[in-house]
Amino acid sequence: MEAPPVSVLPITGGTINMMEYLLQGSVLDQALESLLHRLRGLCDNMEPETFADHELVYLLKGQQGNPFLLRARRSLSHPTVPWHLRYLGQPEVGDKSRHALVRNCVDVAASHSLPDFLNEMGFRMDHEFVAKGHIFRRGVLKVVVSKLSRILVPGNTENTEPLSLSYLVELSVLAPAGQDTMSEDMRSFAEQLKPLVHLEKIDPKRHM
Amino acid sequence: MQQREEKLLDASVESLISRVAHLKNALHSFIYKLENEYERLTWPSVLDNFALLSGQLNTINKLLRNEKTPSFRQQIIIPLLLSPDRDEELAKLTEQRVPVFSHEIVPDHLRTKPDPEVEEQEKQLSAEAARIGTEVAQKQIQTLNKLCSNLLEKLNNPRDDRDADSAAIRQNKPSFNPADTNALVAAVGFGKGLSKCRPPGPVAPGHTGQGPMMSGGPTLQQVTIGGGSGQQQGMGPGAPQQQGQPGKMPCNIKTNIKAASSMHPYNR
Repeated sequence: MEAPPVSVLPITGGTINMMEYLLQGSVLDQALESLLHRLRGLCDNMEPETFADHELVYLLKGQQGNPFLLRARRSLSHPTVPWHLRYLGQPEVGDKSRHALVRNCVDVAASHSLPDFLNEMGFRMDHEFVAKGHIFRRGVLKVVVSKLSRILVPGNTENTEPLSLSYLVELSVLAPAGQDTMSEDMRSFAEQLKPLVHLEKIDPKRHM
Repeated sequence: MQQREEKLLDASVESLISRVAHLKNALHSFIYKLENEYERLTWPSVLDNFALLSGQLNTINKLLRNEKTPSFRQQIIIPLLLSPDRDEELAKLTEQRVPVFSHEIVPDHLRTKPDPEVEEQEKQLSAEAARIGTEVAQKQIQTLNKLCSNLLEKLNNPRDDRDADSAAIRQNKPSFNPADTNALVAAVGFGKGLSKCRPPGPVAPGHTGQGPMMSGGPTLQQVTIGGGSGQQQGMGPGAPQQQGQPGKMPCNIKTNIKAASSMHPYNR
């Protein structure tokens, strides 16, 4: 995955509370080309960027019910690039009219000893997958079109099988807490991708 | 009688002059805009300018067609004096465009017939038209009219059945599957369908039969592990190994696990 966002505000001890606004959808394999064409037209003019990432999700089971989840991601196409560790909070239950899923997000880079470190800390790897696809940008909006694959033999990222016949499409923005204007921009961008993809706010808890 | 006609002529010439002056000013500003502000110019504003010019030409035409306007065709202009000297009054009148009333400017300004080249082209066109004969010409006119009216009709009436056709085509080829969306979101959100509960079949069953592994090193026993879960810890050299079964396993190793404090020791 690309380097974590650079924040221009000075870090004076506290952390900057970044929120991730998210809209998700999917597109069938046969419609992928038309979606990529449309995104190439709608998004900023840059070389089409592909990525291949291996994500491991670590869980720390507490005494209370909810386990603490951390996501560690490394690039398969650039093996020397640092790992990316991310924490995603629970989706904010704000007003229902907000169009995007909002959750707290903390991103840091980490060295290659991250899996060992997390294990020492007490985290256990819950699941892992490989994501390959394309990434587009439009201003602060980020669109990721990725194919998720299941890893058949743990640790072996060569031997994978696709989870489904679709690509996952995610539209996300990272913004400091309190900026609610993002969801409007995201919704108008999502409108432009219809009817190819329906990007919507999907609560992951509903599919538990 | 003569005087009335003269007065009428004067008045109509005056009004014609003022209308033409308006047209000239509009053209002047349009040309200026085109030459200097072409980066900022938008097509609708260009269309506005053209519309303005067309409106002004229309008023001039209306003026000329007015019954009160005497026929200008019957008036004759004869240059009485041509001189190569500069005439200041003329220059002032024409805003420095015609400084000299000489032999060069008379053919351009007092022209009544079209240019010779234009005349040549017109003659050719009329010869062409006469050559093809009236019936053929009529047929061509009718075809052109029919085409234009068809096009106009298509543009003016957005037909509903046309929209229904395209909508039906779109429905036949859906580009996304909502079930897939849900499956993918669940997979990314909390690993549904991924290795948490190993999918049967492609995964080697040897993994589930893995016995409990020794916790790696004495240091782990002193780390406060919250809740003392029964999960075993495996320290492989490569990627971390994982238990096959979800949930807790009976703890076979007697470890010294202390109750956790609410704050993780590594927290700031």
